[in-house]
Amino acid sequence: MREALAATAHFRGMARVGRWEAAFWLALVLAYFVPATNHALLGQILIWGLFALSLDLLLGYRGIASLGHAAFYGIGAYGAGWLGKYGWTEPISALLLSGLLAGLVGLATGHLVRRLQGVALLMVTLGLNLLLFDLAQRSSEITGGDDGLQGIEVAPVLGLFRFDMAGHTAYLYVLAVALLVTLLVRGLVQSPWGLALRGARDNARRMAMLGAPVDRDLTLSFGLSAAIAGLAGALMTQTSSFVSPEVLSFQRSADVLVMLVIGGTGLLYGGFLGALVYLVLRDQFAAANPIHWYFWIGLLLVLVVTFFRAGILPALADRLRRHKPGGLS
Amino acid sequence: MTVLLTTLFNGISHGVLLFVMAVGLSVTMGMMRFVNLAHVSLCMLGGYALVVAMDHAGLPFLAALPLAFLASAAAAAVLEATLLRHFYAAEELTQVLLTIGVVFMSVSAAAYIWGPSFRPVRVPDWLSGHWDLGPLALERYRLFTLLVGGTLSLALWLGMERTRFGAMLRACVDNRRVAAACGLHTGRLFAVAFAIGGGLAGLGGAMAISLTGVDPNFPFRYLVVVLIVVSLGGMGTITGTLLSALAIGVADVASKYYLPAAGGSIVYLLTIGLMLWRPNGLMGRRSGHA
Amino acid sequence: MKKSIAALAAALLGTLTTHAPAQVKPDETVKIGVLVSYSGIGMLGGIQTDNVIKQFQARFGAAPGGKKIEFVRRDTTGPNPEVARRMAQELITREKVQIIIGPDFTPNVLTLAPMMTEAKVPAIVMGAATQGIVGEKSPYYLRTFFSIPQQVRPLAAWAKKNGLNKTVVVVADYGPGHDAEATFTKTYGDAGGTVLASIRVPMRNLDFSSTMQRIRDAKADAAFVFMPLGEVALQFMKAYAASGLKSTGLKLIATADIADESTLEAAGDSALDVITTGVYAPTHDSAVNKAFVAEHEKMFGRTPRVSLITVAVWDAMQIIYSGLEAQKGARFDPDKFIAHARGRAFESPRGPVSIDAVNGDLIQNVYLRRTEKRDGVMQNIEFDVLKDVPTR
Repeated sequence: MREALAATAHFRGMARVGRWEAAFWLALVLAYFVPATNHALLGQILIWGLFALSLDLLLGYRGIASLGHAAFYGIGAYGAGWLGKYGWTEPISALLLSGLLAGLVGLATGHLVRRLQGVALLMVTLGLNLLLFDLAQRSSEITGGDDGLQGIEVAPVLGLFRFDMAGHTAYLYVLAVALLVTLLVRGLVQSPWGLALRGARDNARRMAMLGAPVDRDLTLSFGLSAAIAGLAGALMTQTSSFVSPEVLSFQRSADVLVMLVIGGTGLLYGGFLGALVYLVLRDQFAAANPIHWYFWIGLLLVLVVTFFRAGILPALADRLRRHKPGGLS
Repeated sequence: MTVLLTTLFNGISHGVLLFVMAVGLSVTMGMMRFVNLAHVSLCMLGGYALVVAMDHAGLPFLAALPLAFLASAAAAAVLEATLLRHFYAAEELTQVLLTIGVVFMSVSAAAYIWGPSFRPVRVPDWLSGHWDLGPLALERYRLFTLLVGGTLSLALWLGMERTRFGAMLRACVDNRRVAAACGLHTGRLFAVAFAIGGGLAGLGGAMAISLTGVDPNFPFRYLVVVLIVVSLGGMGTITGTLLSALAIGVADVASKYYLPAAGGSIVYLLTIGLMLWRPNGLMGRRSGHA
Repeated sequence: MKKSIAALAAALLGTLTTHAPAQVKPDETVKIGVLVSYSGIGMLGGIQTDNVIKQFQARFGAAPGGKKIEFVRRDTTGPNPEVARRMAQELITREKVQIIIGPDFTPNVLTLAPMMTEAKVPAIVMGAATQGIVGEKSPYYLRTFFSIPQQVRPLAAWAKKNGLNKTVVVVADYGPGHDAEATFTKTYGDAGGTVLASIRVPMRNLDFSSTMQRIRDAKADAAFVFMPLGEVALQFMKAYAASGLKSTGLKLIATADIADESTLEAAGDSALDVITTGVYAPTHDSAVNKAFVAEHEKMFGRTPRVSLITVAVWDAMQIIYSGLEAQKGARFDPDKFIAHARGRAFESPRGPVSIDAVNGDLIQNVYLRRTEKRDGVMQNIEFDVLKDVPTR
């Protein structure tokens, strides 16, 4: 009885929207109205952050590392591309369809790899990613090849907001999607299902012994993660009216993994923070000395890994918690 | 028939080269469960060492190759002692990130020191051209690769299976904690194995660059295939790595000839298939590892 | 700790907001964006772009038409449409550039077309070779590079004319490669030649032995090769020589990418005696070119070598300066700039060129060259020319 009460309190505690979370989203919404903001960059950060969030679902909450997550991102991106090219210009429905497509492929993948662990899992996800990339590059008749898919049209959002060149509409659109998806994932990971997922991350065998459908949950989490990645990819295509095979590249899979781990896994917002740090710093380094920014990014990685073992977000959260005796909600 | 034999020969020589480059990584991943992606940077270093030794010191090719081995082995030892050693207990992903960071830095450093273009390698005349064995025209350089790689494979296998040092290494691969409990200096063993593996990486890299020269993007080009060879073979086993390297080499070359429509995808399909069938690799053992 | 967080936040804020828009006074400052690769596979292009701009301004000053010009550089990081798009947005909406040198790589050019049209910013493409991507996609695009059919068609015609009746086609397995394959097959076939086999080589290839074997199997008079500029071209050349195909008498004919000066040195002897069609060779025999090359080598040394990209940037600068001179005393007008450029003929270090009035592409001479060693240095030596080859 006491445990049940404690559990309820625990859940209710988590359901309270944290101050920092609210501040985060509020700031982003307000930024839309500040004309000096670099909406193009913020929009990109949010898309990458969403992509990283999808990987976090697998990695942070289920403990599965995937080296080929760009595969799902790319499927969503091309889905939106084909829809836009062949006449389905309404963006929101196209977005959802692309996410669905990616999600279905994710379900299949999850089912395929459900028994694998560690290196084998990494290599299979990597192999699938590389396979898709190779196919996309060679099938220039379907994908437009390296030159990309031409003639993608995206109608104004809700019939009102045209995608403008400076990226203002795109920013709002991406922000709305990112917020909704984050709320959805937040609800999910705090639900009993999410708890089971985390249990499986910590000890899959024990969860199975408790009767939790570990395999089914794994497949579902793969599907969900893939769907969100697909949404991110579709957002990218819709906001730039362009897609080319590099959305499926290993480089992209590696980048999102780096971003997530820099930010911190299993905390929902690590992906966004990691994307912010990575993209902003990349721009800074590139502007300072484009030829050598690789060096500084490499150094950053080494330093973050050395001093912030769990990522930047947990370290920040820790610092703040120590300063405010009330604690982080 | 000639074509089949030539294709096999080409595939095997390509595979042997991959083996020399990858075997060091396999051993270190098997021994310490340490994912060292910077391994391919050591391959690149070997390549540059070869070029520098031949161009600036005027050394002949055969003399420069051991130098490539030594330079990479030394760099590996330094890297391990200063940085990597502190992360043995860290999570796999942390190690991946750390070593990717090192790779990035190495690529940039190479571009800074030696410029972004390809540095050519002047392969000696006696290694160029063909050797005619009946109807087969076998490329001399590939024969050389085969010879060197084959000898190394044998030496490594003998070293692992027949020497005390090899026995100690194998004990560490099987179960590091128990091995340490038996009194083996696992740290020291690992440092030595790491240095040797790094040296081999450099040697492999030096031999691989003869076709193209070496450039700063070398690590990215070989990262994926080296990873595939190591995972497919089973970590920590010489034989496994050799088998998977040969399989990949032959599959790659043969498929591009006989199944050109499939392009480079055969290797990826092979990877996926093999990993699903044998998750621990061809010769991998499910170790009771610490 | 608080101070450093504040400093970090300030830095982040700085990036996320615009700087105060630069004062663009009419007749005074014209901002020119330089949108090329400074990192990744195209980074040589970035280095050479900067060098050539310096060289040009050293000779022609920094104020054409009485306007002061300012360059703003951004890195596309290679064929990366996402990054290119963001950099272009920055250049146009934040830095308020009025002309752009770049972008490089076809995917970048294509993705930026609508933006150039909407913003009315003339952009001079100096590093992408797919046909139909300039004026066809945006009236504000011009090109000082080449288009693939421009080089392939003359080669196919020359091959048949010179007794090479049976050819095997070898291309890289990606869009431009397929285009080259199609163009060659059509032109060559129309001229009466026979394509014995068509081989597509995977892009990420570490071992070329199977390709070489298939070329050998075809038993043709010649092999037409199309590989992307840079590492793939180099690998192919080396593998070609190593396979012994050179000594079988098979004639290797290709587009200039395979013998580009950036990889020619590394290819060494394996690249000897290759016939290519190209639009520029540093050995081109004209006073303009000799002066250009000498000046460049004096300012920047012999590496990186002068190659097509250097000339493409030089010509872009010529177009810019000429256009700005024509608008002397008036506010910069992009439409007038484009109208002035279209149809204009001028002298490039590569030879006489003109800008196609219809699609802004470059009509230029295409030379037939052979690779030789002169004074120990590998060079492309021109031996024949097709004048004023259109891109369409």
